[in-house]
Amino acid sequence: MKTVATFLLLLPRNIIVVLLRIYRAVISPLYGDVCRYYPSCSGYGLQAVQEHGVIVGGFLAARRVARCHPWAAGGIDDVPRRQPARYGLTRFGFVVPAGHGKA
Amino acid sequence: MDILGTILWPIKWVIELILVGFHTLWTAIGMDPAAGITWVLSIVGLVLIVRAALIPVFVRQIKSQRKMLEVAPQLKKIQDKYKGKRDQFSREAMSRETMALYKKTGTNPLSSCLPLLLQMPIFFGLFSVLNDAQHDKAGVGMLSRDLADSFANSELFGAPLRATFLDNGGNPLVMVIAAVMVLLMTASQFITQLQIMAKNMSPEAKNSPMFRQQKILLYILPLVFAVSGVAFPLGVMFYWLTSNFWTMGQQFLVIRNMPTPGSEAAKAREARLQKRGKLAPPEPSTGATIVIEEKKPAQRAQPVGKSRAKKQSGGKKR
Repeated sequence: MKTVATFLLLLPRNIIVVLLRIYRAVISPLYGDVCRYYPSCSGYGLQAVQEHGVIVGGFLAARRVARCHPWAAGGIDDVPRRQPARYGLTRFGFVVPAGHGKA
Repeated sequence: MDILGTILWPIKWVIELILVGFHTLWTAIGMDPAAGITWVLSIVGLVLIVRAALIPVFVRQIKSQRKMLEVAPQLKKIQDKYKGKRDQFSREAMSRETMALYKKTGTNPLSSCLPLLLQMPIFFGLFSVLNDAQHDKAGVGMLSRDLADSFANSELFGAPLRATFLDNGGNPLVMVIAAVMVLLMTASQFITQLQIMAKNMSPEAKNSPMFRQQKILLYILPLVFAVSGVAFPLGVMFYWLTSNFWTMGQQFLVIRNMPTPGSEAAKAREARLQKRGKLAPPEPSTGATIVIEEKKPAQRAQPVGKSRAKKQSGGKKR
């Protein structure tokens, strides 16, 4: 029962993870490296959604894209970490309950 | 009005202003207001204005690329440190350090995705303007119903600008023109990408896994364009094609005059300048130092105690 609840809770962000992975594999390489930040905007979005979920993560990602323009200084700009980490990640990037996959 | 329409409204308004402005200009100098060529030239005008507006972004990018020369030694240090390391963590650490260096020295050569993001609504705005015109709807601003009608029904080489490859109204000419344009578009895209990849990349960038991915895409992309191209009206394809040509020309000038340091194009440019006597030939001594630098181990060797050092050198018998 708890597993089902967790699965449903994590489903929205895992759907976004799949979409972002597809974007990063297919669309991103079309125009090469352009982002002035590390990680790139899509990488940031991926981490943000993995860590904070669709709503908060999506908001963080939107703010980041707004920050990323030719006049920004750029540089290293990591997703704010959530302490303690509640979930683990699979190799693909799916968010799973802690203990599965590599933490 | 739906959300997308609301977002596109101001963009469509500006697009119509520019289109009608150019149309009035061409008509004023004696061109037929209903002719396809007049409208096509108006689209070309639109491209010129949009791309010219993006020049400042581009110039900024070039300026930081020139500044890159100053930080090249530091950049090389980072690249040497991670030389031959293909694993994900080294790659990430390398990008991280490179980005930190860019920020510290103010030399970020990347332009962010804003220029691309800006072009997309323009593209869809034009699509929407043409689509509305096709359904006999007036535009949101300057494009009156009569003008919209004239735009959508104007013909170039006997094919209306609103027609698409698929929705061609039984006119075989539309298919021919659309196919030729898809071919030209694909070719220009291919050439642009190819000249960047063949000439304007440093050897380090060519060794990255990203490059291999791009190389595969170079051959897949034209197919994608060809497939998606059949659904766009000819008018939109003219915008795309002209924009592609602009990119190609711009890229050619940049690769020729401001190449990426360390790339093939940079070497070719140095050779050209030397030929004309504008650049002193590289002194042999500087070449030697670079060689020595390259031989340095990627990571600092552990300090060795005097006694161990003796043993090691003794064991090697040299």
